[in-house]
Amino acid sequence: MSAPVPARSVTAQGHYAGSVSRLLAYAIDLLVSSGVFTLALAAISYVVQIVTGNQVSWNRQNIVVVILYVAWEFFYFGYCWAVSGRTPGMAVLGVRVVRADGAAAEPRRGVVRSLVFPLSFLLLGLGFLGILVQRERRALHDLIAGTAVVYSWDARGARLRFLAREAEQAVSPAGASPLTGDAGAAPGR
Amino acid sequence: MTAHRRITDPVEAMAQRVAERVVDLVLQVLDVNAILAQVDVNALLARVDVAALLERVDLNAVLARVDTAALLDRIDVNALLQRIDMDALVEQTDLGAVIARSSGGVAGEALDAARSGAVGLDQSIDRWVQRALRRKQRAPSAPRALLDGEAQTVTDAPASAGRGTPEPPGQTPLRGFPGGEDQPPTPPDGVPPARPGEAPAREATE
Repeated sequence: MSAPVPARSVTAQGHYAGSVSRLLAYAIDLLVSSGVFTLALAAISYVVQIVTGNQVSWNRQNIVVVILYVAWEFFYFGYCWAVSGRTPGMAVLGVRVVRADGAAAEPRRGVVRSLVFPLSFLLLGLGFLGILVQRERRALHDLIAGTAVVYSWDARGARLRFLAREAEQAVSPAGASPLTGDAGAAPGR
Repeated sequence: MTAHRRITDPVEAMAQRVAERVVDLVLQVLDVNAILAQVDVNALLARVDVAALLERVDLNAVLARVDTAALLDRIDVNALLQRIDMDALVEQTDLGAVIARSSGGVAGEALDAARSGAVGLDQSIDRWVQRALRRKQRAPSAPRALLDGEAQTVTDAPASAGRGTPEPPGQTPLRGFPGGEDQPPTPPDGVPPARPGEAPAREATE
């Protein structure tokens, strides 16, 4: 008889999120926010054309468009971090912003984080290096805002399930489970 | 006895022949259809105990003698299907729920796979960085508030009950984080982890 299973968890929930998850989340957010902004501009152009009869064209050199875009990005990230601690991209990747000590981040921290977020870009991207080398995986804007990014889902458990599924698909049609008495039973450990 | 038989056997044979002839003559005269028309078949059948009759029939033996393939060959399935009112069938089926259920499972599985892939890369990159930086001391894996009570939990878990070595920081239930304490237990070596769909990844902080 095997020994009773200890009440230990396989979860990584609450652990510091890694660079790939955060980068992917940011890429999704950039797509979503830019897409919404473009749609909004198109809608404005349409309405203006209907009301005034004049055709409005937007381009990247237009300072108004640039200012609107920057303001929109601040609002998008700031609002999301202040209200729920995560953006749509972060929700997809299962990560969220918390206070540095792990408590739920206050709204003002979300706003501050969005305001100092560009700093990490402006320093030739060196601000993001902290995600890789800092012990708590905090980027420059995290250190300034006193925040951290953690997994908000059962990442490790899901990783085990994912690998188990892959192992199951790789098994021969003979039918023997690869997970029984096999090293494949503990992927990712 | 033998003498008796010598007399009775020819008589019985003659009586048999006479009886057969008489029956033939009677049947030729009788209108059987007219007679049957006067019989109340329903009343007759009402007196039959069908249940008792069926109990005496070995249906399995009967079915074993049926050539199902030949039977199916004689059925025009296309004609049969044309007689089905598909619209009525669809109206009775909650297709929306079926589609939502199946697509929800697929979407959840895809999300699970995407997140798991990202977590795998996160861990790989983290290992490379730790090696490159030659860090001896392991970095904390979670914020302090989320790790409260970890030491106690590790102490509570006897080495003999698990893999024999204490977990590194952060691989124990996390207190102070919603859903951090009621996760499924670590499967012992050789035991498969939870199958997909058995315990879908959940957003504990939703």
